[in-house]
Amino acid sequence: MTGTDQSSFLGRISIRRNQVNAMEGYHEQEIEDLELFQKQLSDRFAELLSAPDDAPTEAFLSISWIRKLLDVFLCCETECKAILLMERDAAQISKPPLDRLIPELLERVVKAMDICNAATNGVELVRHCQKLAEITVSALEQKPFGEGQARRAKKALVSLMSAMHVDDKESSVQKTAERSWSFGRRSGNKDRHHGHYRSLSWQVAKHWSASKQIHAMTMNLAAPRGPEASCLPAPVYILSLIIVFVMWVLIAAIPCQERSGLTTHLPINKHVNWTHSLAGIHDKIGEEWKKKEKKGMAGLLYEMQKMEKLGQSLIEFTDSYQFPGEKEKLDEVAAQVAELAEVCRRMDEGLVPLQMLIREAFHRLVRNRTEFLDVLEQGAPVV
Amino acid sequence: MDGCRSGVPTYEGDLHVVAAAHHIVKALGATKNLSDDLRKILIDLDSHLSMITSNIDSKGGRGLVDVEERLDLAERKIMRWETDPMMIWDSGPKEASDYLEAVDETGKLVDGLRGLSVHENRKQKEILHRAMNIFQTAMSRLEEELIHILVRHGQQFEPKNMYSRSIRKDIVYDESFVSVEDEPTKETSSQNCSNDESGECIVDLVHADVIPDIKSIAKVMFTSNYGPEFCEAFISVQKEALEQYFSFLGTENLSIEDVLKMEWTCLSSKMNKWTWSMKIIVRVYLASEKQLCDQVLGGLGSVSSYCFLEISKATILCLLNFGEAVAMGPHRPEKLLRLLDMYETLADLLRDIDTLFSEEAGSFIQLQFHELLERLGESAIAAFKAFRVAISSNGSLYPFAGGGVHPLNKYVMNYIRMFPEYWNTLNLLLKNQHPGVADQVTKPDYGPDTSLLTSCPMAYHLRSITSCLESNLHKKSQLYKDEALQHIFLMNNIHYLVQKVKGSELRLFFGDEWIRKHNAMFQQHAMNYERATWSSVVSFLKDNNPGSSSMSKSTFKERCKGFSIAFEEVYKTQTSWSIPDPQLREDLRISTSLKVVLAYRTFLGRNLAYTDDKCVKHTVEHVENSLLDLFGGSSRSLRNSRRW
Repeated sequence: MTGTDQSSFLGRISIRRNQVNAMEGYHEQEIEDLELFQKQLSDRFAELLSAPDDAPTEAFLSISWIRKLLDVFLCCETECKAILLMERDAAQISKPPLDRLIPELLERVVKAMDICNAATNGVELVRHCQKLAEITVSALEQKPFGEGQARRAKKALVSLMSAMHVDDKESSVQKTAERSWSFGRRSGNKDRHHGHYRSLSWQVAKHWSASKQIHAMTMNLAAPRGPEASCLPAPVYILSLIIVFVMWVLIAAIPCQERSGLTTHLPINKHVNWTHSLAGIHDKIGEEWKKKEKKGMAGLLYEMQKMEKLGQSLIEFTDSYQFPGEKEKLDEVAAQVAELAEVCRRMDEGLVPLQMLIREAFHRLVRNRTEFLDVLEQGAPVV
Repeated sequence: MDGCRSGVPTYEGDLHVVAAAHHIVKALGATKNLSDDLRKILIDLDSHLSMITSNIDSKGGRGLVDVEERLDLAERKIMRWETDPMMIWDSGPKEASDYLEAVDETGKLVDGLRGLSVHENRKQKEILHRAMNIFQTAMSRLEEELIHILVRHGQQFEPKNMYSRSIRKDIVYDESFVSVEDEPTKETSSQNCSNDESGECIVDLVHADVIPDIKSIAKVMFTSNYGPEFCEAFISVQKEALEQYFSFLGTENLSIEDVLKMEWTCLSSKMNKWTWSMKIIVRVYLASEKQLCDQVLGGLGSVSSYCFLEISKATILCLLNFGEAVAMGPHRPEKLLRLLDMYETLADLLRDIDTLFSEEAGSFIQLQFHELLERLGESAIAAFKAFRVAISSNGSLYPFAGGGVHPLNKYVMNYIRMFPEYWNTLNLLLKNQHPGVADQVTKPDYGPDTSLLTSCPMAYHLRSITSCLESNLHKKSQLYKDEALQHIFLMNNIHYLVQKVKGSELRLFFGDEWIRKHNAMFQQHAMNYERATWSSVVSFLKDNNPGSSSMSKSTFKERCKGFSIAFEEVYKTQTSWSIPDPQLREDLRISTSLKVVLAYRTFLGRNLAYTDDKCVKHTVEHVENSLLDLFGGSSRSLRNSRRW
C-alpha cells in the first residue's frame, strides 16, 4: 500500500462527505466507502499471509514482516478513523449503539498502548539476545579456533539461552535473574542478582499480564449483524478487531510480561470476505503458538526461532568440542555461524526501526483516542 | 600485519632494526590522542615485535621454549586465582597489577604466536591453543571482577534535599468546594543539592578510587576484542543499579490503564513525585552515569554513548510513559498546576536531555521527550480551559447561607494565586489561545498605566477567569430573596476577590485600574445594602414636618414602635449574616452607625418630652451596641432579651 493509495482513499471520503451532505444517498456512499476499505484490508492481509515461511528476509513473522504488519495497522487505523470521523456530525457518534461501542473501542485502545510498551520492552530483550549472539559469532569465527574460543562462545550461548527462555511469569523474575549469570560462586556476590532483562524495567506494571489484556480486549468484540453491519458499527468493529489482532501478534512474536495462557482464539467473523486472510494468519500463528507455548520460549519471531535453533545446536557443539576438532564438524559449525551472523545482521538492521514503529503505533493510539474523545465531547448532549 | 609475518630473523643486523622499531612503537603507543584503530595497530605491532625479539635470541626451537616458559609463568599467575575464593581486585593493587601483567603477557604471546603461525609448526599450534585457552579464562575472570567491582563500589546517594519545588503549595482541587484557605499549607521547601537549580550536581555512582581499576579492565578487554563482553557486563550492572535507584525513589512502573483509573489525590502525589524523580534521575543520576561511562570508556569512540543509552533507555521510557498517561487522562481543572509542574520540569530538562543523548542512537529518546513536552503543554491548556468551564458551570440550587465568601470564590482565587509562579510557561502556552468571544469585556481599557504584565496573555486569561467567576457569583446572588443580602454577598465576594489580588503577585497582572474598579464595585454594593436595609428603618425617624417643633405623642409612639420592630427584625436577620473580613465588617458597622444612630439620636433629641415614656424601647447606646452584633454569622434576637 503506497502513500498515494491511501491519500486518494482519504480524499475520496472527504470529497464524498462534502458533496453528499444531504441525507439522501449518504448511506449508499458510506456503504461503498466501507466496501472499498474492506477490499483494501483484504488485499493487505492477503499479502501478509502469502509471506514465505522460510525465506530469510521476508519470512512470516520475521522482523520485516512485523514491520509490514505495523505499517498495515497504521494505514488501517488512519482510514478507519477517516470513515468514522471525517466530516461527520458529532451527534451521530454519540447515538446508540455507538455510545457504547466507541467507549469500548477506547478501552481497547488504552490496553493496546500498554501492550505496545510491553512490546517495546520485549524488543529490548531481543536486542540483548542479538548482542549475545554477536559475541558467539565472533568467538566461533576466530581463527585458529580452539577450546578457549569454544568456552567463550559457550558462555555467551548459555546467557543467550537463558535470556531467550525467559519465563515471563512475574514470580520467577528473581529466580531467572540469578540463573542467567553464572558467577554466584564467590561469597561476596551472593546477594547480587543480575539479569539484564529480568529487572523492573521489563515490567509494564506489577501484576500486569499481556494475555489478560488480550482476553479483556476480546470481550464484547462481536461483528455487527443485520443492518448494523453496513453502517457505523462496522468500522468500529473493524478497527477494534485489527487493534486486538495486531496486539495479539505482537505478544505472540515478541517477549512480553506474562504471556502464559495467551488465547489462540480471537473472535474473527469468518463469514465476511475481508477477514479470510486475517483469519488465515491468525490460525497459522495460533497453531504455532500452541506448539511452542509449553516449551517456554522467546516468542514466535522468526529471527528468534532461528537463533534458538542455531543456539541449541551450537551449544551442543561447544559442550563437546575438543581441540582441534573434526574438519567436517567444523565446516558444519561454520555454516551455522554464518547463518547466526546473518540473523544478527537482520536484527541489527531491523530491531531499532521496529521499536520506533511500535512507538509510533503507540503515539498513534494516543492521538486516536484524543480525537475520539474530542468528538464524543462535542457530540455529548449539553448539560 | 602482513609486514610482520616475515618469520624469524637470522642475523645480527636484524636485531638492531627490530629493537629500534620496537622502541619507536612503544614510544608511539604512549601518545595520548590516538585513534582506536591506530592504537590497536600499535599494540599488535608491539606484540609481534616482542615475539620476534624473543625468537631472535635463540633461533627456531629454543625461541618456542622461551615462549612456553613465559606462558607457563603467566598461566600460573592466572590459574591460581581460579581456585582462590577471593576476588583479585579485593586482594590488593599488587595482585591486580600482577594479574593484568600476566594477562597482557598472555595476550602478547597469543598475538605473536598467531602472527607466526604460518609455519604450521605443530608445537607452536599447541602452545597457541593453550595460550588462547588461558586467555579466555582470564577474560572471563576480568568480566567477573568488573561486575564485582561495580557492585561492591557502587554508591547510592540520598535524593533528599534535592530539587524540591521551593514554596509552591499543594492545593488540591476539591469538587465539593471545601475551603482550602485555612488548611495548613504543606510547604515543600528545601535546598537543592548545589544551591543552584541549573547547576550540575554530579555524584560518583561508583567510588572514584576504583575508576582506574575499571578503566584498566576496560582497556585490556577492549584491546583483546572482548569489548562486547565488557559492555554487556557493565550495562547490566549499571542498568540494574539505576532501576534500584528508581524504585528507591519510590517510583514504580504503572500501566497507562492504571494511571487513567487513578484517583485524583493519588495521581496528584504521583505527578509530584514524577516531577521530582525526573529531575533527580536526569540531572543527577544520568549526568553522573554519563560521566562514569565517559571516564571508563572515553577513548573508545561511540562505545560510551552506546552503553549510556542502553543503561538508561528503559528507565527513561518508563518515566516518559507515565507522563504520556497523565497527559492523555481526563483534563480536569485540578490537574493544571501539576501539569504545569511537569511541563516546566521537562522543558527545563530538555537541554540536559539533548546533551546526554546527543548521539544519533539517542535521538529516539530526544524525540520522545520533545513529543511528551508538546503533549503536556496541550494537556495543560485543556485543563486550563476546563478550569474556566468548571467555574462558569458551577451551579447552586440554594443560596449560600449568611452571604459570606463563597467556597468557589475561595477555591478559584487561591488557585489562580499560584499562576504568577508559572507565568512564563502560561504565557507561552496561552499565547495562541483566545479567552473567547464572551469575554471581550475583559480587554483592558487601561490608560497609560498599561504595563507589560497587565497585557500579557496570562493577564488576559486571568481577567477572563475572574470575570467568569464574577458572573457566576452574580448568578448565585440572585438566589437570595432579600435584596440586601444579595448586596452583602456580592460585597463580600468582590471584596475577597480584590483582597486576594492585592495581596499577591496577581496585582501585577490585574493592574491598578482593575483594582480601583473592583474596589468601587464592592463599595457600591455596601451602599446598596445600606439603602436596601436601612432606608425603610430610618424613615420612621424622619420628621415629616421639618418646620414644626415636635410631633404629637401618638405619632411619636407609633414611630418609636415602628422603628423598634423594624430594627429588631433587621437585628434578628442580619446577625445571622456574615462578613468574614473584620475590617470590612467594621467599616460597614461604622457607616451604618453613622446613619442609623445619628438619625435615632436626632429623633429622640427632638422629642425629648416623650423620651421617658415606656414606648422608647431602645436607648441610643443600646441601638449603637446592637449594631455591633450584626454580621456575626449567628442569628440573635432582641425580642427575648428585653421586655416589651
